[in-house]
Amino acid sequence: MNFFEGVSTLFSSEKYMDLLIEGFKNTFIISMAATVFGLILGTIVALINLAPNSPLMWVPKAISKVYITVIRGTPMALQLFIMIFVVFAIRGFPPVVTAIIAFGINSGAYVAENIRAGILSVDIGQTEAGRALGLSNGTTMMKIVIPQAIKNVIPAIGNEVIALIKETSIVGMISITDLTQSAKIIGAGNNMASYLIPMSVAALFYLAIVYALTLVIKVIERRLRASDKR
Amino acid sequence: MINVKNVTKNFQSVQVLKGVSCTIKKGERVVILGPSGSGKSTLLRCMNLLETPNSGEIWIGDDLITSMDPALHPDLIDKKAGKSAVRRVAKAYEAEHKTDINLARRQMGMVFQHFNLFNNLTVLQNMTLAPIQLKLKTKEEAEKTAMELLERIDLLDKINVYPSTLSGGQKQRVAIVRALAMNPKVMLFDEPTSALDPEMVGEVLDLIKQLADEGMTMVIVTHEMGFAREVASRVLFMDGGKIMEQGTPEEVFDHPQCPRLQEFLSKVI
Repeated sequence: MNFFEGVSTLFSSEKYMDLLIEGFKNTFIISMAATVFGLILGTIVALINLAPNSPLMWVPKAISKVYITVIRGTPMALQLFIMIFVVFAIRGFPPVVTAIIAFGINSGAYVAENIRAGILSVDIGQTEAGRALGLSNGTTMMKIVIPQAIKNVIPAIGNEVIALIKETSIVGMISITDLTQSAKIIGAGNNMASYLIPMSVAALFYLAIVYALTLVIKVIERRLRASDKR
Repeated sequence: MINVKNVTKNFQSVQVLKGVSCTIKKGERVVILGPSGSGKSTLLRCMNLLETPNSGEIWIGDDLITSMDPALHPDLIDKKAGKSAVRRVAKAYEAEHKTDINLARRQMGMVFQHFNLFNNLTVLQNMTLAPIQLKLKTKEEAEKTAMELLERIDLLDKINVYPSTLSGGQKQRVAIVRALAMNPKVMLFDEPTSALDPEMVGEVLDLIKQLADEGMTMVIVTHEMGFAREVASRVLFMDGGKIMEQGTPEEVFDHPQCPRLQEFLSKVI
């Protein structure tokens, strides 16, 4: 059986295709939901970190600093295990949801740092000019600083999302059939008994997702840069 | 109008202002001169609290904008009173006199060395953002005022462009009229021409002179000696975080008293 015959066998077998599509679906759902979750969480954490020091903000600031340090300092697989075997060790709790939460929390820590860097990259003079006109700190942020920061943040966020999609390939460890896991099942001895073909096909799927995403990011970037020079 | 009382300001371990007091009256045009690092920009930035003084008080009209400085009110505070008693007195005093800084800033226009136009907004939006956001004017009123001001500086054709396409002189003139769109009672200029090409300095100084002739109260930090002499009603000379000498332009430029000022003038003129 040569490579191309193998590929056609894979695509014509209903059993293999169902597995592959289920895997693709899980990978897609987990990475997209975790991205949204991570963006929301990361934005909140970044804004807490950048808020002016006050007695009221002390606790939230401390929590968000610990959160970023711990999440960035420990391996993703470990965080996933802790989530499924400790935090959500509830009978019948869907593992896909656990994975979404685990990846969302992980991504949030990186996104928070990206957003913080983006906001800090906007010249302090912009904030000063806004405040000098009598605008509040919040209005200055929303109307002047954040619109400029988004442009600087998009490439880094794009990177983070791409990394997240590929990192979801470890969910096989907690028995979720994602793209990688489905390729592994198809390649096992009682099925095709060859890993080369299903793994290559899975790789193509990943590539397709990431490439599509890259194009989307480029379009967004170009739109945002349109106001730079005119 | 502006009353600065014994203000000090430290940046980490460096004391930039060492107890500065000055009063700026309505209609005055005060120019602050001094070598680099003398604290003149810091003093100007303290006046609208872009820098918070470490001690001393600043009053805008009848409103206190900084914290109360107990050292300036010996009559209110019992010498033997403990710290908590002092804090209680300060709190009561601030409740009576202190104003929201955002309200105080509306009355003060600030012009920066690096223009600081909002890069994500067009010239028109730059000028109307604050009046509209602060609900001082409706969108139509704000746009009408903005157009009148732009017409005055002859940049009406640039109304819908982004700041990145303007020249330095144009940017600074837009920055000045952006501040004017708030109808300020006093204008603060922080080295308005230092970042400009020599060719463009004139157009910006002309606009400031026009404002001066109209009777606008202004405080200007500048290195343009000729301009200072022409426009100022009073000149302050600062060095080492203190006001060393002040007086009319004739007094300061023609008959300088303190040796540091004589040395400074001999180098720059």
